[in-house]
Amino acid sequence: MDIKTLDHLCELSKLNFTEDEQKKILSEMSDIIDLMDTIKEFEISYDDTKDYNEIAYDDLRRDEAASSFETERLQQNTQPRDNCYVVPKMME
Amino acid sequence: MARLYPTIGLEIHAELLTKSKVFCTCSAEFGGEPNSRCCPVCSGFPGTLPVLNHTAVEYIVKAGYTMNCEISRFTKWDRKNYFYPDLPKAYQISQMPRPVCLNGHVDIKTSAGDKRIRINRIHLEEDAGKLVHDDYAKASLADYNRCGIPLIEIVTEPDFHSAEEVCAFIEKIRLLLKYAGVCDCKMEQGSLRCDVNISLAEKDSAELGTRAEIKNLNSVKAIGRAIEYEIYRQSEIIESGGRVIQETRRFSDTTGETTAMRSKEDAHDYRYFPDPDIPPIIFTEEELDAIKASLPEMPEARKERYMSEYGMKEADADTIINDKEICDFFESAVSAYNNPKSILSFMLGEFMRRINLGEMSMETLKVKPEEVARLIEYGDTDKINKNNYKNIFKAMLETGKTPEEICDAENYWVKEDSALLESVIDKLIADNPKPAEQYRSGEQKVFGFFMGQANKALKGQATPNAIREMLEKKLKG
Amino acid sequence: MDFKNVTLSELRSLLDEKKIGAEELAKEFFGEIEAKDDKVLSYITVTEEEALAAAKTAQVRIDAGEAAALTGIPLAVKDNICTDGVRTTCASRMLEDFVPPYDATVIEKLKRDNFVMLGKTSMDEFAMGGSTQTSAFKKTKNPYNTDCVPGGSSGGSAAAVSAGLCAAALGSDTGGSIRQPSSFCGVTGLKPTYGRVSRYGLVAFGSSLDQIGPIARNARDCGTILNTICGVDPHDATSRNVPADDFNAKIGAGVKGMKIAIPKEFFGDAVDEEVRNAVMNAAKEYEKMGAQLIDCSISTLKYAVPAYYLISSAEAASNLSRYDGIKYGLRGEGRTFDEMIRDSRNRGFGDEVKRRILLGNYALSSGYYDAYYRKALALKQEVIKEYNEVFEKADVILTPTAPSVAYKIGAQDNDPVKMYTADICTVTVNIAGLPGINTTCGYNADGMPIGMSMIGKRFDEATLIQAADAFEQQFSPVRCTL
Repeated sequence: MDIKTLDHLCELSKLNFTEDEQKKILSEMSDIIDLMDTIKEFEISYDDTKDYNEIAYDDLRRDEAASSFETERLQQNTQPRDNCYVVPKMME
Repeated sequence: MARLYPTIGLEIHAELLTKSKVFCTCSAEFGGEPNSRCCPVCSGFPGTLPVLNHTAVEYIVKAGYTMNCEISRFTKWDRKNYFYPDLPKAYQISQMPRPVCLNGHVDIKTSAGDKRIRINRIHLEEDAGKLVHDDYAKASLADYNRCGIPLIEIVTEPDFHSAEEVCAFIEKIRLLLKYAGVCDCKMEQGSLRCDVNISLAEKDSAELGTRAEIKNLNSVKAIGRAIEYEIYRQSEIIESGGRVIQETRRFSDTTGETTAMRSKEDAHDYRYFPDPDIPPIIFTEEELDAIKASLPEMPEARKERYMSEYGMKEADADTIINDKEICDFFESAVSAYNNPKSILSFMLGEFMRRINLGEMSMETLKVKPEEVARLIEYGDTDKINKNNYKNIFKAMLETGKTPEEICDAENYWVKEDSALLESVIDKLIADNPKPAEQYRSGEQKVFGFFMGQANKALKGQATPNAIREMLEKKLKG
Repeated sequence: MDFKNVTLSELRSLLDEKKIGAEELAKEFFGEIEAKDDKVLSYITVTEEEALAAAKTAQVRIDAGEAAALTGIPLAVKDNICTDGVRTTCASRMLEDFVPPYDATVIEKLKRDNFVMLGKTSMDEFAMGGSTQTSAFKKTKNPYNTDCVPGGSSGGSAAAVSAGLCAAALGSDTGGSIRQPSSFCGVTGLKPTYGRVSRYGLVAFGSSLDQIGPIARNARDCGTILNTICGVDPHDATSRNVPADDFNAKIGAGVKGMKIAIPKEFFGDAVDEEVRNAVMNAAKEYEKMGAQLIDCSISTLKYAVPAYYLISSAEAASNLSRYDGIKYGLRGEGRTFDEMIRDSRNRGFGDEVKRRILLGNYALSSGYYDAYYRKALALKQEVIKEYNEVFEKADVILTPTAPSVAYKIGAQDNDPVKMYTADICTVTVNIAGLPGINTTCGYNADGMPIGMSMIGKRFDEATLIQAADAFEQQFSPVRCTL
């Protein structure tokens, strides 16, 4: 794996690494990807209609609204403002 | 340089009218205190799982049928991964390779004639939440009430070449979705949203130009204005030798211009993959046939029927079908009293007049179609004078009373009282010798004056026919 | 009281015969935990107050003669299963203070039967690992030798069962995380068929692979727990409606005539000789009991580890994107949204979790999706086909659970690839969605337990329990000496 790929993955994963950490992780990821690459030898294609894990349209959940979950309990793990979740501004 | 030719494609999002959200049992009602219609599932809590809503699937199939789409017998949901504060799971459940609907079309009418717009796909996905910006605190506040509301996304082929075509299409879509009963299409409330992709190129060019995407369009009017502005903006750039940038732009109602957004969607790799929490769905032919059969008669079909069975003029038919509630009202009235011509005449007249004046709306209307039907029937059978429709109907609107109650109370019933009729007309002619003389000497126009005065004097208590007969008799002397 | 050899059935009798009260029983366990858990480090959170209150309620039911199988029974719960009002950390700094506002479905079912929860057990962070050494809080030790790992990711649960610090426990298994630590700790662990037990409330790792399952001192106890926690759940669309009367119904039927398949690929050089020998000896014991051994082949085994890591990491990368500190969890600092969530995730996640997220996003990213993720899904279809073919001729499949016994703590640090390849014996079972059970089949020269796995047909946990129990009846386990 090269540094450019790692940077791209960090953007997709919202992770940061220091320069030292980068060296270590590049080496680890390269080894891991070598292991993953063995799957390239396997030459069969995927047919998504043959997983046989479908359910019937008629078995879907019927459309009934349940009573609301208490906002206070939902927000017990954070500090809301006006019952909203606080987020730093996006860069717009 | 040859004239630059716009090519436009649309992505329309419509919120479905289900009772619960698409992947959880929270209420899908509009509004509410922030985070009051949420649960651990739609708020993206650890360990929670999505469970698909039967009616949401039914509704997208219905929408697909109104647009002549193919319904996929095997359909599945995928995760679209990206980070944004209005997206609690940091992925949106949507559909990629196997959407519910594919390859449809919608026909529109424009000043240049009829046109067929191709529908590429319709898929079912979940809506994101809302962010309220607090500039003072440099923070945003996230409300997840809207997270998980079912959305269908309608993607057209780039078949449009003018703002007029786009606006005609949007109005048609609104009509179809309202007829199908799947969306209330209130653009100002956000239940119908439209993103426009527009590029310019020379008319006979094989390639399309670079396109810009316009978001945040809250009304059909705004869409029209935004397109016109974009055509102007992109033309200026191209004609001065510049290049249009592929970007997302926002339209401002106040300035009428579009400006570039630093979009959350810039160059994202969404890493779509099938959502392992949601098993794919299989439809049987019977299920799809049943859904199709449950659709009410669509506007085009109704129009054909009105024109062929009722002999309605096309323009009149268009007016009636253009609003499903009005059309349904018309049909209910006709089934109560089978005189479509009379009922149509009243509805295109007094009924529409009051709506256009803003004095009544179909949403709040308490008057029943059967009551209007009876009113018209009374008029047709000379039980009341048709000139009194206006007043009686106004009273019905204001008081909520039935036509019978109002006619009883205000004496609108026609009384077959020839003695009264004769005496009133005798007095009228006696009081107006000059006009009477004018009539006798051949001025037919004066008759109208006598008719009007007679009507006023009799307060509608005689039918126009009876008045006419008596007047003619008395005037001729 | 020393519980290492006490089964659920025995505890049920003690309670029902009023030989011990529920509260007293709970207190006995807390005494053991207090005395021994500083050496084992199996519990992240001990819930003494809640447990004693639950025991009181359970006692009322026992007194009324209305006890269910697990009424008053003290269980430990892996810390990735959400418990309303009790912090659920997934052994991660990211969720150090997270208190779920709801119970997992399995917890609801257990509460309905008035079980007693002793506490939440340690695990590899977010269930990613095979040693429990990536836990941010308690790096659990193997009760047989505290210099060795207990296995993972359900190491806390397995060690607690092994050391008698609970009557039994719940774990979760995505690539072997119930079976492998059960094997290392000398106890019995069952991964149900995918869809048998609801995943609602299990913090998601590999959504198409995860299952909650029991870890106990024997197969029958596993069946007792599975009876209570199984069932289709309207909150989990992947849970299946496959009715089951009693998973222990076939116990005692023996294995005469049972066809046991031995897949050759599982007995290659990747597996230590002492393990292979122990498992083959167990196979011979089965033969003596009347079972028929058949040869078979799972040729896709050589691609199983990469396929497993590609699928599970891709799903995990997506499942873990929600951890940003905004709704719950460690809240980072930053002037912008982007800065803040990166800070939350950098400080909240350990190294292994970060590696899996990177790998997952790599496998899904544009340009790589077909070669990696899609290819892994193709392999999954092939694995399922192969197992289906074997099950046309066999009732169960017998394999080793892990390539070795429990290794020394630190021996596999700095070598993620080595750790990954050690999953070779367990991952195909998750990929195929089949049920698998581990039970101890021997001990090595150092007294460390060696486990064997049996794989069953979809939803055929009863046959697995029947077979495992038959072996256990004639096997004398050596419990740890803690």
